[in-house]
This record gives sequence, structure tokens and C-alpha cells, in this order.
Amino acid sequence: MNSPESQKSVSTTESANAVFASAVCLPLLRDQQNEDGGWGFHPKAESRVEPTCWALLAMMQVESTAADREILERSLQYLRSAQLPDGSWPATPGEKTGCWVTSLACWVLSREENGAVTAGLEWLCRDWPWDSSLWQRFLRRFTSERNISPQNDAYRGWGWTPRTSSWVEPTSFALILFREASERALPPGSRKRQQLAEAMLYDRMCPGGGWNCGNPRVYGIPGEPLVIPTVWALLALRVNANRAENQMSLNWLLRVLPNVQSPASLALARICIETYGWSGPLPEARLSAFYDRHQFLRSIPVTAWTCLAWNARPKLFANAARGRA
Amino acid sequence: MREQGAALIPSFQRSASRVAIRRAASYGEDLPTLLYETLREFQLPVRGKTVLLKPNLVGFDPLGVMNTHPAVIAAARESFLRLGAKQVLIGDGPAMDRDTEGILESVRVGAYVSGLKSVFVDLNVDDVKRVPLKTRASRLRELYLPKTALGVDFLVSMPKLKTHHWAGVTLSLKNMFGIVPGGCYGWPKNVLHWAGIDRAILDINAAARPDFAIVDGIVGMEGNGPIQGTPKASKVLILGDDPVAVDATCCRLMGLVPERVKYLSRACSFLGHVNSEMIQQLGEDIPSTRTSFAVIPVFRHLVDEHSVVWKQSCSKEKISAPPEGGGVSK
Repeated sequence: MNSPESQKSVSTTESANAVFASAVCLPLLRDQQNEDGGWGFHPKAESRVEPTCWALLAMMQVESTAADREILERSLQYLRSAQLPDGSWPATPGEKTGCWVTSLACWVLSREENGAVTAGLEWLCRDWPWDSSLWQRFLRRFTSERNISPQNDAYRGWGWTPRTSSWVEPTSFALILFREASERALPPGSRKRQQLAEAMLYDRMCPGGGWNCGNPRVYGIPGEPLVIPTVWALLALRVNANRAENQMSLNWLLRVLPNVQSPASLALARICIETYGWSGPLPEARLSAFYDRHQFLRSIPVTAWTCLAWNARPKLFANAARGRA
Repeated sequence: MREQGAALIPSFQRSASRVAIRRAASYGEDLPTLLYETLREFQLPVRGKTVLLKPNLVGFDPLGVMNTHPAVIAAARESFLRLGAKQVLIGDGPAMDRDTEGILESVRVGAYVSGLKSVFVDLNVDDVKRVPLKTRASRLRELYLPKTALGVDFLVSMPKLKTHHWAGVTLSLKNMFGIVPGGCYGWPKNVLHWAGIDRAILDINAAARPDFAIVDGIVGMEGNGPIQGTPKASKVLILGDDPVAVDATCCRLMGLVPERVKYLSRACSFLGHVNSEMIQQLGEDIPSTRTSFAVIPVFRHLVDEHSVVWKQSCSKEKISAPPEGGGVSK
């Protein structure tokens, strides 16, 4: 992997992937926007908040043409109209309860100063996981459950659905948002939430580095890390890039990268590795080969992630330069 | 398209269920013929219909013991097509990891099923429909469920024969957790755990009851399943027209007492049969194919202490009478 030949080959692969992302993936996104301005998880599927956010983030990276600006404006309008009165966003149209996609929607909208983001941040700060409330923690002392998965429930993040349990990915998305949002939009108490959430992520790290959904050990057996949760946790914790846990997890990601078998994991791992400043060779995995195999299972989020990973002007983290801890 | 409410017929009004046990020493055997011949015996109403196979795709599985084996999935697909099905889809919504394509690749489903991109449905991100729950076994009042799973004519649950560290066993009923969309509820589908796993299993199966079940027991998993357990070769496939009866039979094959599995003990009142007298056994018998599965200590009460006696006497009646203090849920 480190020979000059392989370096050259990898760089050719990277170039080919960048061309593929801009020549195939980006046009796919443009073509698949629904009439209402949103995107579904698949072409012709009904618009949902999550795929709309990923598509929007990808579209925001490209040089704007008039047509692209119209696409962006319509999709931003879709997102604004999907917000619930309490400030949150729902996972599916018609649902009256918000959930984790609130972090994604606010992340996208945080590039504009507006009240929608403030309301979303306030909702997030009000949503505490119930499983780690003082009462639940007290009750757990008397159940056998405390021995199943030894984790520190004093550390609290966010769940996929409100008032349930902390999980790695929704916690990571909320942390990313808190760093991306402007200082003025952050509600009082958000600093404490961030500290608890960071501590929760480190507490849930798998013993050898990396993260899975949030079970680092069950019945005494170490959990296996997974690429996607590891990527999001590392991105959420990127201000601590030099911490031993971050480096151990990054090394885990680099170790498994050559064996990655999917465009989703490959694209997200690339974003993460690049964000951490890794300049070494990347595996020779061609997006076109993945696409020929299963057409990314026609997934809009995966198509958007490939655009984000191989776009020439990465601006995924607008506030990266600020390095706000 | 599927008949709503058919799931909730009380057991005493149901005719006997049929469950077949077939030996298959390995995944290299002629599974298409074995499954086709067995399915034909059931005379299933699938001609001209759309069938959805719902395997258990849990995660990356280099050893091939965690997920329904692709050879079984492919054989089932081929068999239903031979039986005249218009279309046979494959769909699942992995619970712990949203990288469904990565899981499919690690399981090598594409190597067994051609044209996967046109037949596979990622149920985690399918369009959804709000379904009010009639059973109210759990605190859930409604669920969003994938339109594909709700819209097909014939739904087949295809689990792996495994023990489970929260539910005791994970078979054709628990496998239906996979139709609950991660796109709405996350990875994992934590809302189901909050509602109570055993109770949520009942609600989901009442809302979208499988019409048939095919259990991959060629190599199953014992101990700390569904992910971190130990491979266990039972060398059987279990098929049946009642998912409750299939799961009860699987338990008996695993040396466990189905009446002591919480959700099965309740499922038998409205979803299907657990009582062995109401299960017409086809193919091999249970005693000759039984392989005792280890369970984690919290589920020790599921183990059939009379198994040795039972195995020697080959008496079906003894299995429906749990030992004293067996903790059968009412």
C-alpha cells in the first residue's frame, strides 16, 4: 500500500472517484429532487427530512449555478415547512413528534441565521434521555440490568427518539450541530449538555477504539465497532483530535478501511480521515465499481455522502476553522 | 393487499398448524430442491402473487453464523418463483447498523441472488405508513411500517435459529423487528425496547403477521445471541404456515420449553399455536433432530430439564407439560 506504484494507483483511483462523484452522483441528486423541494430515501420516494438534509449538504458544496440555487432554495423551503411547532423536525411526514433529525436539519440551516435553528437547539436542550434520569438510575441499582452493560449513566447524550436512551449517532449529530451553530443561537445550558454528551461518547467507546451504536460491552463481551458510528463520533469529537481515544479510534478506522465493502462506509470514512488531516494513501476502491454492483441500492443519502467525500471544495464543517471546543 | 385482522384469531378457533422439519447437513446441499419440494406440500396460495422474503440480516458476519444464510434465501426465492409467484422480493431493515449494502456484501447475498438491486428492499428506508396497533400488548399505540411489507400478498419470515440475550430466543416472530424502519426509529430501534421487547414482538406480528416461516437452522447460534453467541449446527430447516407454531417447534428442537418464552406464551392466545397437539408435524420428528442450545444464565429457566427423559421416550405429550415451577406466563 505504501509503494510508489500503489500511491500512484490510489491517487488515480481518488481522481476517478472525484470525477464519478461530480459526473454521476451529483446529477443524480439534482434529478431526484421531488416537486415539494425535498428528497426521499430513494428516487420517487416521498420527501423526508433526513435524505433532504444529506442532499442539501452535498448540493451546498458545489459551485452554484442559477439552477442549483433554485434547487437549494426549494429544498431549504421544504425543510423550513417541515419544522414542528415545538422547534423539532419529524422523521416522516405527518408525524407530530420530533426526533434526532432535528440535529441534521439545524446543522443544514445553521449556515443561515434564523429562528428555526434557535428553536431546534432549544428543543434539543429540553430533550433529556429518560433512561439516565436520577430516578431511573436509582431504580437500576436494584435490578440485574446494571450488570448487563456497565456504562456510566450520569453521562447523557441524545436518543433517536425523544425521552428514551442515549445513542452514539444521534449524540454525535447533536454535538456536531452545537459546534456548527453560531454562539448567539446556543441556548443557556447548552455547554453543560455538550460536556455530558462528550463524556458519554468516550464512555461508550469500544475497548479497542471505535464505536458501535452504543453498546461497548454486553454481558462482559466487548462490542465490535462499526464504521459509520465511529465516523460520526470522531467528527463530533474532532476538537479533541489528539486525545488518545480519538487516535485509537482513528487507527481502528484506518485499519478496517481496506476491507470496507460499501460506498456508504467508504465515503464517510474518507470524510472523517480527511477532516483529521490524514494524508496517507486511501484504499483503491472505485465508486464506479460499487455503483455498477448495486447502484448504491438507489440510496439518496449514500449518493449525497459520496458527493461530500469527493467534492473538491469540502465545506462540510463551516465552523471547522473556529475550533470551538 | 394483505387481509387485515386475520392474525388475531384466537387459538381455539384455529385449525391445526403445519410445521415441517427437513435435514440439511450443510449450505452446499441442494437446498432449492429441498425447499421447493417442502413448500409444494403446503400448497401455498402464491401463484401470481408478490412474495416478500424477510431474512434476518443483523450485521457484518465473516463467519456466517449471525445472519440467515444467503443460500437459504436464494433457494427460497427460487422455490417461490417455481411455485408461480409473480415477484419475490427480499427485504430487511438491519437493526444495529445502517450500512445495509455493507451487510449484504459481508453476507455475500449478491453472490447467491442475481439482480439484487432490483429485488432487495431496505426496509429501514422504505416509504412508510402509520399503522394503529389493535393488540395493545405494549405501550405502543401505533407504528410506522414499510409500505412494501404491508403491501405484498405473502410475507415470509426467514430467521436464523438463535438464542437472544434479551428475549430468550429470536426466531420468526422476533425476526419481524426487522420490518420496523430505522429511518423512523433509529439504529437500534430503541423505541421497541422501551415498549418492552416481548410485548412489542406481539404488536408487530399482529400488525404484519408473516404468512409463512422458514428458519435457517443449518448453523444457528447459542449463548449470547443474536450477535455474540457461538455457532451451533442443528443441520435442519424448519418451515411452517404459522410463525408461532414454527417458533414453538424451534424451541423444542433447541431443548427449550416454548411456553416459558414470554412472548410465545402470550402469542398462543391470538397469533398461533404453541400447543404441540395443535401442530401437525411434517418431515423429521423433533426427538431425532433435537440439538440442545446453551442459553445465558438469565434464561436458564427456558431449558427443558426433562430433555433426556423426553428424548429417550420420544413422547410429544411431555413437552407441553412444563416441569414444576417452570414459570409459565399466563
